[in-house]
Amino acid sequence: MLALKMLLRSWRGRQLGLIFSSLVLAVAVVTSVALLAERVELALVKESSSFLAADLVVSSSVAIESGWLERAAEEGVRTARTASFASMTYFGDEMHLASLKAVESSYPLRGALKRSSVPFAIDDADIESVGSGPQPGELWVDSRLLPLLNVELGDAIDVGDGSFKVTQILIEEPDSGSSFSAFGARILMNWQDLPASGVIQPGSRVSYRLLIAANEGQADNFDTYVDWLKQQLDVHDRIITPDEAQASIASTMDKGRRFLLLAGSIGVVLAGIALALASHHFANGQLLQVALFKGWGISANAVRRLYIQQIILLGIAGSAVGLLVGWGFHQLLITTVREWLPIALPAAGLKPWITGFATGILCLIGFTLPALWHLPTQSPLAVLRRDIQSKSLNSLVRGSLGVLTVAVLLFWYSRNLYLSMAILFGFAITAAASIAVGLVLLRLGKTYGHWMGSIWRLALSNLWRRKKPSLIQMVGFSGAIALLMIMVVVRTSLIDEWRWQLADDAPNHFLVNVAAYELDGVKSLVNERELETAGWYSMVRGRITHLNNQLPSQVAKDGHESLRRELNLSWTSDLPEGNMIVKGQWWQANTAPASGLAPVSLEDELAGELGLSLGDTVRFSVGGLSFDAEVTSTRSLNWESMTPNFYFLFPEGYLEDYPRTHMTSLYIPGEEKLLVNDLLRKYPTVQVIELDKIIDRIRTIVSQVTRGLEMMTLMILGCGILVMFAAVSLSMSERLQESAILRTLGSSRGLILGVQWVEFTTLGMMAGLLAALGAEFAVAMLQRFMFSLPFSWHSWLWIAGPLGGGLLVGLLGVVYSRKAVTQPPLQVLNSL
Amino acid sequence: MIEVSNVSKQVVTSEGTLDILDGINLSVEAGETLAIIGSSGSGKSTLLGILAGLDLPTSGTVCIDGQDITAMDEEGRAGVRAGHVGFVFQSFHLLPGLTALENVALPLELQGIDDALQTAKHYLERVGLGQRVSHYPRQLSGGEQQRVALARAFACRPTLLFADEPTGNLDTGTGKKINDLLFELNKEEGTTLILVTHEKTLAARCKRTLELQAGRQLAEPTGITA
Ligand SMILES: Nc1ncnc2c1ncn2[C@@H]1O[C@H](COP(=O)(O)OP(=O)(O)OP(=O)(O)O)[C@@H](O)[C@H]1O
Ligand SMILES: [Mg+2]
Repeated sequence: MLALKMLLRSWRGRQLGLIFSSLVLAVAVVTSVALLAERVELALVKESSSFLAADLVVSSSVAIESGWLERAAEEGVRTARTASFASMTYFGDEMHLASLKAVESSYPLRGALKRSSVPFAIDDADIESVGSGPQPGELWVDSRLLPLLNVELGDAIDVGDGSFKVTQILIEEPDSGSSFSAFGARILMNWQDLPASGVIQPGSRVSYRLLIAANEGQADNFDTYVDWLKQQLDVHDRIITPDEAQASIASTMDKGRRFLLLAGSIGVVLAGIALALASHHFANGQLLQVALFKGWGISANAVRRLYIQQIILLGIAGSAVGLLVGWGFHQLLITTVREWLPIALPAAGLKPWITGFATGILCLIGFTLPALWHLPTQSPLAVLRRDIQSKSLNSLVRGSLGVLTVAVLLFWYSRNLYLSMAILFGFAITAAASIAVGLVLLRLGKTYGHWMGSIWRLALSNLWRRKKPSLIQMVGFSGAIALLMIMVVVRTSLIDEWRWQLADDAPNHFLVNVAAYELDGVKSLVNERELETAGWYSMVRGRITHLNNQLPSQVAKDGHESLRRELNLSWTSDLPEGNMIVKGQWWQANTAPASGLAPVSLEDELAGELGLSLGDTVRFSVGGLSFDAEVTSTRSLNWESMTPNFYFLFPEGYLEDYPRTHMTSLYIPGEEKLLVNDLLRKYPTVQVIELDKIIDRIRTIVSQVTRGLEMMTLMILGCGILVMFAAVSLSMSERLQESAILRTLGSSRGLILGVQWVEFTTLGMMAGLLAALGAEFAVAMLQRFMFSLPFSWHSWLWIAGPLGGGLLVGLLGVVYSRKAVTQPPLQVLNSL
Repeated sequence: MIEVSNVSKQVVTSEGTLDILDGINLSVEAGETLAIIGSSGSGKSTLLGILAGLDLPTSGTVCIDGQDITAMDEEGRAGVRAGHVGFVFQSFHLLPGLTALENVALPLELQGIDDALQTAKHYLERVGLGQRVSHYPRQLSGGEQQRVALARAFACRPTLLFADEPTGNLDTGTGKKINDLLFELNKEEGTTLILVTHEKTLAARCKRTLELQAGRQLAEPTGITA
């Protein structure tokens, strides 16, 4: 096949290297990201299910109806019931108000329980993962229950009317989450023991859960059941999805995923630019051959067919190699982030491969085909005269085709309008500015260049003389620099945002409900261990009794926990960090509502759920006293931070007289963990919220996601360098020829390299400047719409852009043209 | 075979219109040999390009085998050239990425001829380059490149061969061999030869000669008209 032969010869002649590598890179970037995204997605669904210990959970304040279980059995859906409640536990003279959870034998449906026979086990060797909870008659308990009750493994303790043997240390439940409602040591017991223990009496406050999960391969039945179940739900019942179960991890992962997408999209666009430049270069190299063909009487159609066949072959070969490279790179990425990928990753489907392959073909159609479009119409006359210009496709048409392809790729690939638009506009602005401003700058350079030395004069007039390739190069350089800038800026701001999570001494425990008389004791306990708290906050516990002067209905009470429970009320003059006012206004000094009531600021979603808006009143009952407050603002909270978040905030001067308790957060290193036990033993009413496990988990995830991002960044940098190469090589043969001729005329090495240096540095500096413009714009869009980060100027872009661009492009140009001074001129000319 | 009447060529340059060719009349029969001579810049290459249908005259007509190629479109002219017109260009135009052998074989391959490489090798041997088949043009001397270009033209067994100074870069010995080859082709296959040359000896071997001076025909082509 002639097309294949021609292709192989071009390959041998190194005319295809850039096209081929750009193509391979485009396909590889897309394939690796698509493979990774799909596999991680699949894994995450599984992983987040294990956070719930189920695929879906119904949480209820009343016992789960038996009809639901029967229906589930009919549908072949797995179920497990749990009941959580607080109960006194006794051993000898000691007692402790523990948090119990009774679980059916099928629990957990997803994920695993971790247990140990060593109290306070930290060593992995001592910890065992198992698929079900305690047998009837047995209890698995938190390590700290042992010192609290002064028991050892094997002892029997009393719970309610029953006596149970403590058989295992409970290290971790999959669905423990950041259980802010846990008061005391956690105890896991068997569901069958519930009646005998008699701990659940009418009126006991129990949180029931129905865990459900699909059987292998029966997702349809599961969906049918869930649909049915949703119709059965009452005001007592609430559905919890896996996403809700792990909000802070989900948001980290989500941003990581978005960055992956962004990087992938940028990679594709970069590879696309490189491909377009390389194709342009390739087409120029084919002009003589086509002119000869035409001279030999080959019809335009035959020429067209030959080149289309070549493109198809190239597309198939390039995409195939790209798929392979992409697969390899995704393996590499997976190895990097292996540790947080829990289970064996599910295999990806066919889709990523199709996506990758289609990208290759689309890139060729969008970037290579237009560049070669004019070849068949090449005049045979070109073999006689050099001044015959080929009628290449209007560069406007070509540009639009390229932009269209980029747009299609971006959107098809990211399914994200904002991302596509940001990159597209960022790039379009850069390109348009490069052409318009570039022309003016080049002109200015030529006009004023003669004030400078001879090198400058020569270089600047060269640039002007070659203005068309110069402009194309500038679009290439500035586009690449802009896209790289976008990526680096977003990456940096993401990593900065995560940095606090990576900080080793971020608070990992909260001490809540410390009574005023206990405060000094707790403080000294903490001080003895030389630990530092993040400062103490005061709060008051109260209930809501009336909304707008009316008792809340029973329905509303059933529907909302905050109407049933004691709430934490706190006060502050300054809006806490991470909070944002949604409606109304934060209090200014000494301003109170006209009604004379206490102003209160509510968490926005809670306000919605309670049906409260600005100006409504809420009556609180605190320690037997009641007072009304007027809603003056609503706030959104930052759930990603591990800082205390308050649903109800008052200004200073309203709550100080009520009995208050104190809270703080602090970092307790693993080896000081026994502090919690000392503390709880001495001050049993103090509530300790342990976030250390969750934080460790987030920290691993973040650091691995970060590493993944770094690798992705490197790969994209590779794409960027490829664009630079493509752009530099664009004018190289002409430059080398001119340099060689200058050399034969006896020009010094300094002059020749100097001219190249000045030309490329000038191009690079202009490109860097224009890139900063486009990048700033795109980053603003991305931060606003995709990563919900505040807008900020990046002044360093405007300095680093021109400097970096000039240096990089200048160096690349000089390295490329060094041949002109290191080799004898004739060799240089011959090699062109 | 070729009928040229009143062909003129003008180009517009920044210094006004330039007459490159002016009122050329000429007819060449099949199997004839014609030498176009004249000083540098007299318009020889331009005329050759127009005769081959690679270029268009500003006015006048060129008929090949009775078809007026000046009235055709580019595709039509390509169709006329296809398969039976060969060229040797003044600047050779070998493709730098292909070896000598591949350069010669390329037009044959385009015609879909099976043993293209075999034929190409044969013709390279005939121009004395049997040992250099796998060399790239940049590795060959000017004269060697010229011989590759000749082999490429011969390999197609054209019925009409245009050659722009085919032996311009060759020493007398090699030049003679190449000339012999040209005329052998003319004898054996009846190829019509139209050559541009500065060499008296080569011009003399052609049946007829056309001399140009500043774009004008000095006299009716000399020699015997069939
Ligand atoms: N497109 C053009 N624009 C301007 N001048 C042209 C153009 N084409 C040819 N000429 C001029 O026409 C004249 C004839 O050119 P041509 O190449 O035919 O000369 P030639 O007789 O082949 O010369 P040589 O023996 O040096 O090859 C030259 O002076 C050339 O500069
Ligand atoms: Mg000439």
